[in-house]
Amino acid sequence: MSVVQKGKKAGAKFCEVRFFEEKTKYISIENGVAKSMSSGILHGVGVRVIIGGRWGFASTNVTTKPSVETALKDAIGGAKSIAAQRGEEAKIVDQKAVVDMVVHKPKVDPNDVSEEEKMKRMLEIEKAARTYSERVKDTFVSYREVLTRVVVANSFGTVVEETTPRTAVYCSVISKEGANMQTGFKGVGNVAGYELVEAIKPEKFSVKAAETAVKLLDASPPPRGTYTVVVDPDVGGLFVHEAFGHNSEGDLVFGGQSIISGKMGQKVASDLVSVWDDPTVQKNGHFVYDHEGTKAEPHPIIDRGTLVGYLHSLESAAKLGGKPQGSARAQNQHFQPIIRMSNTFFAAGDMSLEEVLEDVKVGVFLSGSQYGYVETQKGQFTCKAEQGWLIEKGELTEHLRDVAINGLTLDALKNVTAVAKDLRIEMPGMCGKSGQGMYVDAGSPHMRFEGVVVGGRR
Amino acid sequence: MTNMEKIDIITPVEKAVKLLSKAGLDFFDVYAAYSRGLTIEILGKGIKESMSRTDLGLGVRAYKNKGLGVAFSQSLKAEDIETTAHRAATFASVAQPDPYFKGIPAPSKAAKVKGLVDPEVAALTLEEVGGCAKKMIRAVEAVRRGAMYQGGLGTGHSRGFLMTSEGVSVEAEKTSVSASVGPTYRRGDDVGSSYEYDYGITLKEIDFEKIGRQAAEKAVEQFGSKRVESGTMPIILTPDSSSSLIFALLGAISGESVAKGRTFASGCLGKQVAPSVLSVVDDGTVPGAIASGAFDGEGVPRRRVEVISKGTVKTFLHNYYSAGILGAESTGHAVRGGYGGYVGTGPTNVQVKPGDSTLDEMVAETKAGILATNMGFTPNDVSGELSTTVDEGFLIEDGEKKHPVKNLMVGGHMLELYKDIELVSKEGRTVGKGFFFPNIKLKQIKLAGK
Repeated sequence: MSVVQKGKKAGAKFCEVRFFEEKTKYISIENGVAKSMSSGILHGVGVRVIIGGRWGFASTNVTTKPSVETALKDAIGGAKSIAAQRGEEAKIVDQKAVVDMVVHKPKVDPNDVSEEEKMKRMLEIEKAARTYSERVKDTFVSYREVLTRVVVANSFGTVVEETTPRTAVYCSVISKEGANMQTGFKGVGNVAGYELVEAIKPEKFSVKAAETAVKLLDASPPPRGTYTVVVDPDVGGLFVHEAFGHNSEGDLVFGGQSIISGKMGQKVASDLVSVWDDPTVQKNGHFVYDHEGTKAEPHPIIDRGTLVGYLHSLESAAKLGGKPQGSARAQNQHFQPIIRMSNTFFAAGDMSLEEVLEDVKVGVFLSGSQYGYVETQKGQFTCKAEQGWLIEKGELTEHLRDVAINGLTLDALKNVTAVAKDLRIEMPGMCGKSGQGMYVDAGSPHMRFEGVVVGGRR
Repeated sequence: MTNMEKIDIITPVEKAVKLLSKAGLDFFDVYAAYSRGLTIEILGKGIKESMSRTDLGLGVRAYKNKGLGVAFSQSLKAEDIETTAHRAATFASVAQPDPYFKGIPAPSKAAKVKGLVDPEVAALTLEEVGGCAKKMIRAVEAVRRGAMYQGGLGTGHSRGFLMTSEGVSVEAEKTSVSASVGPTYRRGDDVGSSYEYDYGITLKEIDFEKIGRQAAEKAVEQFGSKRVESGTMPIILTPDSSSSLIFALLGAISGESVAKGRTFASGCLGKQVAPSVLSVVDDGTVPGAIASGAFDGEGVPRRRVEVISKGTVKTFLHNYYSAGILGAESTGHAVRGGYGGYVGTGPTNVQVKPGDSTLDEMVAETKAGILATNMGFTPNDVSGELSTTVDEGFLIEDGEKKHPVKNLMVGGHMLELYKDIELVSKEGRTVGKGFFFPNIKLKQIKLAGK
């Protein structure tokens, strides 16, 4: 009898067994030296049940049948032990059984390229940045290849398996002049093999990181106060992911932690704003099945200013009355699937960048994302950009560094007054939520927001 | 529920050491860890999910001609250990010489640190952990009903074993409890939301009712938040914000980055960075404290270090590698994140020396200022520039807390902010029996608001 069947027999209303395996290789270059190489293998099983109206989850690295059965016992025992406590009832939508196997085949298998060759290539990419200027102090390039295999089996009869290769290269540069030090960064990553590395042109990649770091040495701190702000596709991507996207996660919505809870069908943004989360796009957040075995579909969230959807798991779909479209993923076997964004973006508008800028008398242009976060329950966000420019009479003038913006998400979305047509989704990274990291991507066209707080020391 | 099984992590490490000894390496270390964790997740109306996690793994750092190879495995089967050791050794021979690498530490003796394992925590069941979560939620409800929740309660029990080519052989065991609850109340469009937390080694030191009560009181206080004008004002940091101010500097004087001149504080050794009212100690040997241990992540004894004395930076925090760059000695601050193989540097139990002011006095003597009860100092570590949000705070007018603030940012350079430290309070918050942070008042900070 399978572990899923044993779970059902023990009284579980729902039982899910998820096998996870991830093989990683990593090369790290610093100032012309490939000083370390590493590799790791994660593997294990996570078991999840609903029993007595509560979720129970248990995981183990040991993949033998007795060990998985112990995990099942732990999951069942755990759920039963909290069943009597007042709290959030576990319920899910019924699903039809799906049996499928997906293998994302890379064009160039990283296993067919020697470690020496990879190292040589990374050193070339790094050298281009290091030799860009005498003001470059330190250069770092890292290469990562990951092969992930996930098998999900559940009591609906679903058995899906997906094997995904991911490759990423990151370059960061520190520039220095006297006591002044600045940084520049560039990264690429996707569901891909070594072809991603072969396509890198150092002059458009590591040299760009060096150029940013060096030019920032002569930039000024930003003025502070409330300004008209124009964001580039990276800062727009950071905003749509952090400030808005997390609010659309169904678990935060039914958990009362989102500012768009109860706002379905209502106007939440300017007519110019449409937001999508789309795991079917071939970007870093791409997958075919989520970790509950649901097939991924594009999810519209805002359509021309109106809230039209949330991101769903089996549970949030049941609680909020939606349809699961594949948004539940887990970092590895040790975590239960939770609702995650995939490739999240503002849809393109119809303006040129010049048109977005031309009406701005005084404003701030933000470029390149550094980090962002949101308090979803209050809808207050912070986004830190890599650099910025003052906008005066529609022209970019003074170069600015260490620029961050803050605001209330719904106010900001209502104050979008221009959207360009140049959508770009190129922010491969990891998103953190509830202690879990997950592969995501984000993007946007150039956009204009009125009345945003810009922080700075001037 | 099943308790932590008696899984042997010593034999697999010894097996790897034996294999690596014959691999022609210059140095190596092997670390294995086994842990078991129980978690109760709180979301929405209350307790949502129970989780148990058993984690096991072994990692190898191997050095050949100053090149580093790292490998780890989550399986301790003989063939997987062999593959892991082989892979690390191969990578070490492919990697290029790191000119800064000076070796790994020799064995040292250290006194045992007492009170790092609580048998009560090790024996907890999920039902009991769920009971503690229930106490927190009840305490929230007793202050005000109708909250929606986010939070959780976790307990852990871990064992680790390190052996190196230099003869280090160190075993460590620890338990932990952590709890947090964040209630959100709504009144039309107005939101009252906050959170409270605590963590430690033992179950007894965590007061679940107090966490719930304080979280609810803080959440209710956040109703009616308003925007504040841009300007320059004094700011008072309560312990949950002052801790972040201190960690931002400690991060910038730790490890490889500072040793290689890559942080804003690289030139601060021996320099006065703050007024003499500020002294900070890092002590990894406090009995029963959450960040204590006899040895650091490389087997170097932990110790009590005066990091900032009367405003002057007395030492950087080092692991063996970063100390080697500056020709200094490791200060016992190597941090091994797990069995993944990499070793970093970081503070242990951080204690700011109490001053002679009080929070009440600080507020009372402020004509116009900000009281920041929750904010993160997240500077650009390289440049030291800061631009961040006051996540929770209040406007102070004429010596009184007026109203909560929203949509407010602060900016500055970390070293300027440290120079503007004016007062340190007598009282403060102790967390995990090892950390202590008082209230700290800065003379001025630049605000971006309306």
